[in-house]
Amino acid sequence: MTRKSVDELLATTRFETDEHNAHIVIDPQACRTCPSDRACVTSCPAQRYVWDEAADQMRFDHVGCLECGNCRLVCERLRLGAEGYSWNYPATGAGVSYRQG
Amino acid sequence: MADEDAFDAIVVGGGFAGLAAAYRLAQADKSVLVVERGQVCGAKNLTGGRIYAYALQALLGDRWREAPVQREVKREIISLLTEQDAVNVDSTLTSVEEESYTVLAAPLLAWLAEQAEEAGAMIVTETTVDGLIIRDGRVCGVTTGDEQLEASVVIDCEGINPLLLERAGLIRPLDPHDVAVGAKFVFGMPAAEVEQRFGVQPGEGAALLGMGDPTHGVFGGVFAYTNNESVSLGLVVDSAAWAKSGRSLLATAQDLQEHPALRRYVGDAELLEYGAHLVYEGGYDTLPQMSGDGWLICGDAAGLCLNRGFTIRGMDYAVMSGIAAADTVVEAVEAGDTGPTGLAGYRRRLDEGLLQDFRTLRGGHAWMSGTPDLFTVYPKLAVDLMTDLYHVGAEPVRPVGSTVWRTARKVRKPFSTARSLLKGMKTL
Repeated sequence: MTRKSVDELLATTRFETDEHNAHIVIDPQACRTCPSDRACVTSCPAQRYVWDEAADQMRFDHVGCLECGNCRLVCERLRLGAEGYSWNYPATGAGVSYRQG
Repeated sequence: MADEDAFDAIVVGGGFAGLAAAYRLAQADKSVLVVERGQVCGAKNLTGGRIYAYALQALLGDRWREAPVQREVKREIISLLTEQDAVNVDSTLTSVEEESYTVLAAPLLAWLAEQAEEAGAMIVTETTVDGLIIRDGRVCGVTTGDEQLEASVVIDCEGINPLLLERAGLIRPLDPHDVAVGAKFVFGMPAAEVEQRFGVQPGEGAALLGMGDPTHGVFGGVFAYTNNESVSLGLVVDSAAWAKSGRSLLATAQDLQEHPALRRYVGDAELLEYGAHLVYEGGYDTLPQMSGDGWLICGDAAGLCLNRGFTIRGMDYAVMSGIAAADTVVEAVEAGDTGPTGLAGYRRRLDEGLLQDFRTLRGGHAWMSGTPDLFTVYPKLAVDLMTDLYHVGAEPVRPVGSTVWRTARKVRKPFSTARSLLKGMKTL
């Protein structure tokens, strides 16, 4: 069985993309001093968080987010709503749209 | 007091709890508005999943048989997994009648939404509730964008991430230690293929819950459910423990498809959908306040999910809490008191109903999460024992008793282990 990349996996799931408004906001530079051992990178089931070693900052893409909320729990800054960090539901039907569920 | 064009109730979230509450309220001729953030009801929901039919019966009477459920579960499999092997406790319970069905959340919730609308509920989709309207400590409605929607009561069924109530300070924020994270793959295949792979009769289904190596020592497990023309396969692990493990959740979930004991169910099938969701596991002692001045909380948002290791229940409790909330609101509206006293009947209904289960199983979560051997040592022992019992080679055979004894001796600290297992039997 060939293993799918995360992009191939997420391509099977339907998304109503809101390209412009991210429902989850992080501060890529502030993530350098993460108090949560960057647990988002390994704990996000959609791998939306990638630590960019060369740029020394976090990369986050809200497109493809499955809205599970796990990052809201494992990231102390998202959980406590630190400055530059916020977690919300997407507005107006945007985001993941399960057909199977 | 609410003005004249206010609803009797606004339900936040068109999932199992919200739609059950709306259907019940509409049937009692109360004005009810469901605000759902997905494009349709069900678009944001994800289940493992199976539902226990008694809850659908309680909501819909015999009409529940029209509901688009998948297969009636007639085969239950508990699977103890090592890296390569598995020992399965495989029960074929053909005499069980209409107890539980495998489900996909999207089609079932779309259908439930239709039932609620036909009964008279108003459902608005693609609308995200941003906040609660609170006056003098009383919840009077919800805000969405620039709009203010007023109601005598707000029934919060917003799911496992209850942002509204957390932000209003009405319940404590979700604690990572009370939550598990799940990832699920749905693989498509013809009905006959599902039946052949799981060894079930046409229309009948199987449910598999497994524990062991796939979660790498973290509290959690794997599941597989047969749908009509697909198989759901997934992994659920404790959120806080997983965050500490340093392993990739997605890669670990993908490993399931390659495990010899699971590959046979989904190998070479086309992936139809990938999804992820949180699962509440905190148990009785972590449950929030269930109602207050003008508000009630149901389903996942209220933490109404129970994991016993061999069964995981949430959707049936969501439906039952929705019914209890609706009945409470009908009573309160008719009595003209939708304050904390008028809505206190909700907790009483829950106490006499589903919370009995939560009290009985109090401590189950703490026991499972505090007994890591469940996910490492015991599955390995079971597989080792079976491997030894079934082994035939050139050397002389060993009596069964000595084989069992050899395996049993691998248990470290046998007395404290026995004590721990007895405790587990009491809490589960």
